[in-house]
Amino acid sequence: MTEPAIELTGLTKRFGSFTAVDGLSLSVERGEIFGLLGPNGSGKTTTIDMISGLSRPTSGSITVLGTDVLTDPRKIRRSLGTVPQENALYEELTAEANLKFHADLFEVPRKGLDQKITALLELAQLQERRKSRVSTFSGGMKRRLALVRAMLHEPELLYFDEPTLGVDVQSRHDLWDRILELKARGTTVLITSNYLEEANALCDRLAIIDRGRLVALDSPSRLRHSFGDTVLEMRTHPTPGEDIVRRVTALPGVVSAIASDGSLKVTVEGGADVTGKVVTEVVGWTSLQEIQSREPSLDEVFLSLTGKELRE
Amino acid sequence: MSVRHNLRVVRAVAAADIRLTLREPLFAIIGILIPINFLLLFLLFAISGGQAPIAVVLNDRGPLAEQFVQAMGNSSSFIIHPASADDAEREIRAGSIVAVVTVPQGFDAALAAKAPIDIPVEVNNLNVDFTNDIRRAIPLSITSFYANAFPQQVVVTARESDVQPQDTGYIPYLAVSIMVAGLMLASLLQGSVNTARDYELGTAKELALAPVSRLTIGVGKVLGAAALATASALLLLVVVVLFIGVRPLHPLEVLGFGLLILAAFLAIGVLVGTLVRRRQQAIPLSIAAVLPLFFLSGPFGPANWLGTVPGAIAAASPLTYAIAAFQHAFHGYQTSPQGLTADAIVLAAFSVVAVALAAFAFGRRGARQ
Repeated sequence: MTEPAIELTGLTKRFGSFTAVDGLSLSVERGEIFGLLGPNGSGKTTTIDMISGLSRPTSGSITVLGTDVLTDPRKIRRSLGTVPQENALYEELTAEANLKFHADLFEVPRKGLDQKITALLELAQLQERRKSRVSTFSGGMKRRLALVRAMLHEPELLYFDEPTLGVDVQSRHDLWDRILELKARGTTVLITSNYLEEANALCDRLAIIDRGRLVALDSPSRLRHSFGDTVLEMRTHPTPGEDIVRRVTALPGVVSAIASDGSLKVTVEGGADVTGKVVTEVVGWTSLQEIQSREPSLDEVFLSLTGKELRE
Repeated sequence: MSVRHNLRVVRAVAAADIRLTLREPLFAIIGILIPINFLLLFLLFAISGGQAPIAVVLNDRGPLAEQFVQAMGNSSSFIIHPASADDAEREIRAGSIVAVVTVPQGFDAALAAKAPIDIPVEVNNLNVDFTNDIRRAIPLSITSFYANAFPQQVVVTARESDVQPQDTGYIPYLAVSIMVAGLMLASLLQGSVNTARDYELGTAKELALAPVSRLTIGVGKVLGAAALATASALLLLVVVVLFIGVRPLHPLEVLGFGLLILAAFLAIGVLVGTLVRRRQQAIPLSIAAVLPLFFLSGPFGPANWLGTVPGAIAAASPLTYAIAAFQHAFHGYQTSPQGLTADAIVLAAFSVVAVALAAFAFGRRGARQ
């Protein structure tokens, strides 16, 4: 049996009295796109730093591609490609100079390097800007260049921090295509994102962590359905009072009901039968003007698991 | 990781830093000019503070009066210019001179008659340092004049024997000390600015995630910063040799110790850059570090003349050994009891420790912004 790409066991990191990561255990299978989600300060970055060997865990173990991170961090870095959120490119150097610098750091053979850079730049549609300074690139181009750089040493595991933060819609879809291509070639991709549509579109599995602890781990589809089958959004007049919300919530198959500003949002499990009972109950007490039915979103799952309060 | 890979990384890191420095001309100019500015500033201070400008009103043109003015000139305490009584009065009121010395009419005749002579000395006593210079130097000039003009009447004389083969002026001595401080400043600035830039750009993460040792990255950064620091060092050398006229007696020592000083303080610069992570903080911190260390390291004379406590502090400062070594390289004498070999060992050890500390700090702080 192939060992996982990443295996975390009881991973804990403390900074003084503050526990950033608290007994985190999970594994990332080879060849999958795995999303690590969580609000700001949830412990994502600390976890990634420990996986990359940039930070030592207080306790617990990390195995990456079969190697203990604490035993041989350099071996792991050689197999790890990273696209940091801030790109980490030398903006006053050309695209080519940035790539050649990375090739030197990661000991990419000089023989055939130019051809390899050409092929990757063509793939990222950046070949024409090969000799241009990075400072003249758009946000999307910088992101693509950072991805090309991470791919240059052919890593088995690629970490992508907020893949499409700050890029336009076209660039976002282009980057998503490239990440899916990487998966198709057998590369394991680990992403962290606050953009749940992205995680939904890309990830085979998601881990949601909060306050350093794992709160959910499953495929996006299963996570959504763990929150209910259907969300009913109803526009009513007047706004349903607390007594109606209480009656709806008490119906069998209703997961939750929230009233606000002329609307009632009800999450149900059990299909059309439950939906019918909810509608009957609502029209008995208030005027129903419009109803929409949809699948639960990942945002709703995320908020239900991590809460709505702002994190810094 | 192979030696070849290490060398490739060192070369790549150094080359990237040089290219980036050249593409940011403002920081390059700051890196080169601040040490030169430092040298010029201190030399101007030394020159302006060394000799007091005075006017001499010569109301007697006799040979003895002329000889007296010459004795004042030979005292190395004044910058003398002759003036009329009115002009001298105007100058001292305007604050452009420290004193007016008037050689009275009948000076020669009074001396021949062995009659007492009053030499009026008007002093602008707003600065006690200059005032005391005048108070010391005028009587010394009188004594010196008397010994030369009437040798048979002055029977007590000093018989000097010199330890060093030649005299060294205050300015040439100080110029070498300031040059060493300039080298330190150039190295600190370049090392810290180059490293802080990686944190500002976020590229410290790219370096931290590379499968190489922190020491390799540190050596690459030291060499990258060395390019501009060397340019600054050469400019300092040109100013000292061509404009101040101090030529090294042992050029190879200048080269060897110069490289050791650069290596040591470039590594400290890398350490500073790793700790502060912002260029705006790295520049003033480098300047602030040089000033106290400079004054505590025997810049005006051998460090062991400083006394017990300052001497002990000087012994702990690497700049002390660097100044001592450079004084030997330029003037040929040993200003410290430990000798040149000890200077070299201390500086080399300091360089190794500094590089290791820089690598350790980079490893600890890693890519954290």
